[in-house]
Amino acid sequence: MIETTAAPFPTIRVRPWLGRLAIAGSLIATFMALVWAPTDAVQGDVYRIIYVHVPLAWLAYLAFFVVFLASLGWLWTKRAWFDALAVASAEVGVLFTGMFIVAGSIWAKPTWGVWWTWDPRLVTTAVMFMMYVGYLLLRSLSTDFARRATRAAVLGVIAVIDIPIVHLSVLWMNSLHQLPTVLRAGGSPALDASMGMTLGICVIAFTLVYFAFLAERMSIELERQRRMFEARA
Amino acid sequence: MIENLGFIVAAYVLVWGGIAVYLISLRRRRANAGSTRN
Repeated sequence: MIETTAAPFPTIRVRPWLGRLAIAGSLIATFMALVWAPTDAVQGDVYRIIYVHVPLAWLAYLAFFVVFLASLGWLWTKRAWFDALAVASAEVGVLFTGMFIVAGSIWAKPTWGVWWTWDPRLVTTAVMFMMYVGYLLLRSLSTDFARRATRAAVLGVIAVIDIPIVHLSVLWMNSLHQLPTVLRAGGSPALDASMGMTLGICVIAFTLVYFAFLAERMSIELERQRRMFEARA
Repeated sequence: MIENLGFIVAAYVLVWGGIAVYLISLRRRRANAGSTRN
Protein backbone atom coordinates (compact mmCIF):
# COMPACT_ATOMS: atom_id res chain seq x y z
CA MET A 1 0.00 0.00 0.00
CA ILE A 2 1.45 3.36 -1.01
CA GLU A 3 1.05 6.11 1.58
CA THR A 4 0.23 9.39 -0.17
CA THR A 5 -1.29 11.40 2.65
CA ALA A 6 1.93 12.53 4.30
CA ALA A 7 2.09 16.13 5.44
CA PRO A 8 3.80 18.49 2.96
CA PHE A 9 7.54 18.95 3.26
CA PRO A 10 7.90 21.71 5.92
CA THR A 11 10.43 23.71 3.85
CA ILE A 12 7.83 24.19 1.11
CA ARG A 13 6.22 26.85 3.31
CA VAL A 14 9.51 28.72 3.62
CA ARG A 15 10.39 28.30 -0.08
CA PRO A 16 10.19 32.01 -1.00
CA TRP A 17 12.42 32.91 1.96
CA LEU A 18 14.89 30.20 1.08
CA GLY A 19 15.15 31.59 -2.44
CA ARG A 20 15.79 35.14 -1.21
CA LEU A 21 18.36 33.94 1.34
CA ALA A 22 20.08 31.87 -1.35
CA ILE A 23 20.33 34.88 -3.69
CA ALA A 24 21.66 37.16 -0.92
CA GLY A 25 24.12 34.51 0.27
CA SER A 26 25.32 33.87 -3.27
CA LEU A 27 25.99 37.58 -3.90
CA ILE A 28 27.95 37.93 -0.64
CA ALA A 29 29.86 34.69 -1.28
CA THR A 30 30.77 35.67 -4.85
CA PHE A 31 32.00 39.09 -3.70
CA MET A 32 34.15 37.50 -0.98
CA ALA A 33 35.48 34.83 -3.35
CA LEU A 34 36.43 37.18 -6.19
CA VAL A 35 37.33 40.39 -4.33
CA TRP A 36 37.72 40.03 -0.56
CA ALA A 37 39.77 36.82 -0.29
CA PRO A 38 43.53 37.31 -0.68
CA THR A 39 45.51 36.02 -3.65
CA ASP A 40 47.21 32.65 -3.11
CA ALA A 41 51.00 32.82 -2.81
CA VAL A 42 51.54 29.74 -5.00
CA GLN A 43 48.65 29.55 -7.48
CA GLY A 44 47.85 33.25 -7.78
CA ASP A 45 44.21 34.19 -8.44
CA VAL A 46 43.20 31.03 -10.27
CA TYR A 47 42.85 29.28 -6.89
CA ARG A 48 39.60 31.29 -6.48
CA ILE A 49 37.87 28.48 -8.38
CA ILE A 50 38.11 26.57 -5.07
CA TYR A 51 35.24 28.72 -3.77
CA VAL A 52 32.79 27.15 -6.22
CA HIS A 53 34.49 23.78 -6.74
CA VAL A 54 34.70 22.63 -3.10
CA PRO A 55 31.22 23.76 -1.92
CA LEU A 56 29.60 22.11 -4.95
CA ALA A 57 31.50 18.89 -4.20
CA TRP A 58 30.38 18.85 -0.55
CA LEU A 59 26.79 19.67 -1.50
CA ALA A 60 26.83 16.85 -4.07
CA TYR A 61 27.89 14.47 -1.27
CA LEU A 62 25.05 15.81 0.89
CA ALA A 63 22.53 15.53 -1.95
CA PHE A 64 23.41 11.89 -2.61
CA PHE A 65 23.38 11.08 1.10
CA VAL A 66 19.86 12.54 1.24
CA VAL A 67 18.96 10.26 -1.71
CA PHE A 68 20.25 7.34 0.39
CA LEU A 69 18.16 8.32 3.44
CA ALA A 70 15.06 9.00 1.34
CA SER A 71 15.51 5.66 -0.45
CA LEU A 72 15.62 3.87 2.89
CA GLY A 73 12.52 5.86 3.89
CA TRP A 74 10.62 4.70 0.79
CA LEU A 75 11.69 1.06 1.19
CA TRP A 76 10.73 1.13 4.88
CA THR A 77 7.42 3.04 4.79
CA LYS A 78 6.29 3.13 1.11
CA ARG A 79 5.41 6.79 1.55
CA ALA A 80 5.49 8.59 -1.81
CA TRP A 81 6.88 11.66 -0.05
CA PHE A 82 10.23 9.91 0.33
CA ASP A 83 10.37 9.12 -3.38
CA ALA A 84 9.77 12.80 -4.17
CA LEU A 85 12.60 13.76 -1.80
CA ALA A 86 14.93 11.19 -3.39
CA VAL A 87 14.36 12.27 -6.99
CA ALA A 88 14.58 15.97 -6.09
CA SER A 89 17.89 15.52 -4.25
CA ALA A 90 19.32 13.24 -6.96
CA GLU A 91 18.56 15.79 -9.66
CA VAL A 92 20.19 18.66 -7.76
CA GLY A 93 23.13 16.38 -6.87
CA VAL A 94 23.69 15.50 -10.52
CA LEU A 95 23.59 19.19 -11.46
CA PHE A 96 26.12 20.08 -8.74
CA THR A 97 28.38 17.12 -9.60
CA GLY A 98 28.40 18.02 -13.29
CA MET A 99 29.26 21.62 -12.45
CA PHE A 100 32.05 20.79 -10.00
CA ILE A 101 33.60 18.34 -12.47
CA VAL A 102 33.69 20.99 -15.21
CA ALA A 103 34.85 23.74 -12.78
CA GLY A 104 37.58 21.36 -11.60
CA SER A 105 38.58 20.72 -15.20
CA ILE A 106 38.85 24.48 -15.82
CA TRP A 107 41.02 24.76 -12.68
CA ALA A 108 43.15 21.78 -13.74
CA LYS A 109 44.24 23.29 -17.05
CA PRO A 110 46.31 26.22 -15.66
CA THR A 111 47.55 24.27 -12.60
CA TRP A 112 48.15 20.72 -13.93
CA GLY A 113 48.48 21.59 -17.62
CA VAL A 114 45.64 19.27 -18.67
CA TRP A 115 41.83 19.48 -18.75
CA TRP A 116 41.46 15.85 -17.64
CA THR A 117 43.67 13.05 -16.36
CA TRP A 118 42.86 9.51 -15.26
CA ASP A 119 43.41 10.38 -11.61
CA PRO A 120 41.63 8.29 -8.91
CA ARG A 121 39.65 11.29 -7.58
CA LEU A 122 38.54 12.33 -11.06
CA VAL A 123 37.64 8.81 -12.13
CA THR A 124 35.67 7.97 -8.95
CA THR A 125 33.84 11.30 -9.26
CA ALA A 126 32.98 10.56 -12.89
CA VAL A 127 31.70 7.13 -11.81
CA MET A 128 29.55 8.80 -9.11
CA PHE A 129 28.15 11.21 -11.70
CA MET A 130 27.29 8.38 -14.10
CA MET A 131 25.68 6.32 -11.31
CA TYR A 132 23.26 9.11 -10.42
CA VAL A 133 22.57 9.96 -14.08
CA GLY A 134 21.73 6.25 -14.32
CA TYR A 135 19.51 6.63 -11.24
CA LEU A 136 17.50 9.36 -13.01
CA LEU A 137 17.34 7.33 -16.24
CA LEU A 138 16.23 4.23 -14.33
CA ARG A 139 13.19 6.15 -13.14
CA SER A 140 11.97 6.53 -16.71
CA LEU A 141 12.02 2.78 -17.42
CA SER A 142 8.75 1.92 -15.69
CA THR A 143 5.35 3.62 -15.65
CA ASP A 144 4.33 1.73 -12.51
CA PHE A 145 4.94 4.16 -9.66
CA ALA A 146 5.72 1.66 -6.88
CA ARG A 147 7.99 -0.46 -9.07
CA ARG A 148 9.87 2.59 -10.33
CA ALA A 149 10.29 4.02 -6.83
CA THR A 150 11.50 0.69 -5.44
CA ARG A 151 14.03 0.10 -8.23
CA ALA A 152 15.34 3.65 -7.86
CA ALA A 153 15.51 3.30 -4.06
CA VAL A 154 17.61 0.13 -4.31
CA LEU A 155 20.06 1.95 -6.57
CA GLY A 156 19.96 4.99 -4.26
CA VAL A 157 21.00 2.78 -1.33
CA ILE A 158 23.77 1.02 -3.28
CA ALA A 159 25.20 4.10 -5.01
CA VAL A 160 25.94 5.93 -1.75
CA ILE A 161 28.99 3.70 -1.29
CA ASP A 162 30.80 5.82 -3.88
CA ILE A 163 30.76 8.95 -1.67
CA PRO A 164 33.46 7.79 0.81
CA ILE A 165 35.37 6.22 -2.10
CA VAL A 166 35.46 9.60 -3.89
CA HIS A 167 36.47 11.49 -0.75
CA LEU A 168 39.13 9.04 0.42
CA SER A 169 40.51 8.10 -3.02
CA VAL A 170 43.24 10.75 -2.67
CA LEU A 171 44.42 9.04 0.53
CA TRP A 172 44.10 5.45 -0.66
CA MET A 173 45.85 5.88 -4.03
CA ASN A 174 48.60 7.98 -5.57
CA SER A 175 46.79 11.03 -6.85
CA LEU A 176 47.59 14.22 -8.72
CA HIS A 177 44.62 15.82 -6.97
CA GLN A 178 45.52 17.63 -3.76
CA LEU A 179 44.83 15.99 -0.40
CA PRO A 180 41.82 17.16 1.68
CA THR A 181 42.40 20.81 2.65
CA VAL A 182 39.66 21.34 5.23
CA LEU A 183 38.24 17.94 6.28
CA ARG A 184 41.61 16.48 7.26
CA ALA A 185 41.97 13.60 9.72
CA GLY A 186 43.80 14.73 12.85
CA GLY A 187 44.70 18.22 11.66
CA SER A 188 43.42 21.78 11.37
CA PRO A 189 42.47 23.12 7.92
CA ALA A 190 45.53 23.83 5.71
CA LEU A 191 44.06 27.17 4.72
CA ASP A 192 44.61 30.81 5.65
CA ALA A 193 41.95 32.12 8.08
CA SER A 194 40.44 34.62 5.62
CA MET A 195 40.40 32.01 2.87
CA GLY A 196 38.77 29.55 5.28
CA MET A 197 36.13 32.10 6.21
CA THR A 198 35.38 32.83 2.55
CA LEU A 199 35.10 29.11 1.88
CA GLY A 200 32.74 28.77 4.86
CA ILE A 201 30.48 31.57 3.53
CA CYS A 202 30.50 29.96 0.08
CA VAL A 203 29.50 26.60 1.60
CA ILE A 204 26.60 28.30 3.45
CA ALA A 205 25.51 30.07 0.23
CA PHE A 206 25.55 26.88 -1.84
CA THR A 207 23.76 25.02 0.98
CA LEU A 208 20.96 27.61 0.78
CA VAL A 209 20.87 27.16 -3.02
CA TYR A 210 20.66 23.38 -2.53
CA PHE A 211 17.77 23.58 -0.09
CA ALA A 212 15.95 26.18 -2.22
CA PHE A 213 16.25 23.93 -5.28
CA LEU A 214 15.33 20.85 -3.24
CA ALA A 215 12.15 22.46 -1.88
CA GLU A 216 11.12 23.75 -5.31
CA ARG A 217 11.83 20.48 -7.14
CA MET A 218 10.15 18.45 -4.42
CA SER A 219 7.07 20.63 -4.55
CA ILE A 220 6.81 20.04 -8.32
CA GLU A 221 7.23 16.28 -7.79
CA LEU A 222 4.57 16.16 -5.05
CA GLU A 223 2.17 18.02 -7.34
CA ARG A 224 2.93 15.54 -10.14
CA GLN A 225 2.31 12.63 -7.74
CA ARG A 226 -0.98 14.17 -6.56
CA ARG A 227 -2.24 14.47 -10.15
CA MET A 228 -1.11 10.92 -10.93
CA PHE A 229 -2.92 9.43 -7.91
CA GLU A 230 -6.03 11.52 -8.61
CA ALA A 231 -6.08 10.31 -12.21
CA ARG A 232 -5.91 6.71 -11.02
CA ALA A 233 -8.62 7.13 -8.37
CA MET B 1 46.51 42.29 -14.80
CA ILE B 2 44.97 39.26 -13.16
CA GLU B 3 46.65 36.07 -14.26
CA ASN B 4 44.42 33.31 -15.66
CA LEU B 5 41.40 35.62 -15.54
CA GLY B 6 39.75 33.74 -18.39
CA PHE B 7 39.77 30.48 -16.41
CA ILE B 8 38.31 32.16 -13.32
CA VAL B 9 35.56 33.88 -15.32
CA ALA B 10 34.80 30.66 -17.23
CA ALA B 11 34.39 28.66 -14.00
CA TYR B 12 32.12 31.23 -12.33
CA VAL B 13 30.01 31.83 -15.45
CA LEU B 14 29.61 28.07 -15.86
CA VAL B 15 28.52 27.52 -12.24
CA TRP B 16 26.18 30.48 -11.86
CA GLY B 17 24.96 30.07 -15.43
CA GLY B 18 24.17 26.42 -14.71
CA ILE B 19 22.29 27.39 -11.56
CA ALA B 20 20.32 30.05 -13.47
CA VAL B 21 19.41 27.61 -16.25
CA TYR B 22 18.23 25.01 -13.70
CA LEU B 23 16.18 27.69 -11.93
CA ILE B 24 14.50 28.61 -15.24
CA SER B 25 13.85 24.92 -15.88
CA LEU B 26 12.19 24.55 -12.47
CA ARG B 27 10.04 27.62 -13.10
CA ARG B 28 8.89 26.20 -16.44
CA ARG B 29 8.09 22.84 -14.87
CA ARG B 30 6.17 24.61 -12.11
CA ALA B 31 4.20 26.57 -14.72
CA ASN B 32 3.36 23.30 -16.50
CA ALA B 33 2.41 21.57 -13.26
CA GLY B 34 0.23 24.46 -12.09
CA SER B 35 0.98 26.75 -9.18
CA THR B 36 0.98 25.14 -5.72
CA ARG B 37 2.59 27.98 -3.82
CA ASN B 38 1.61 28.24 -0.18
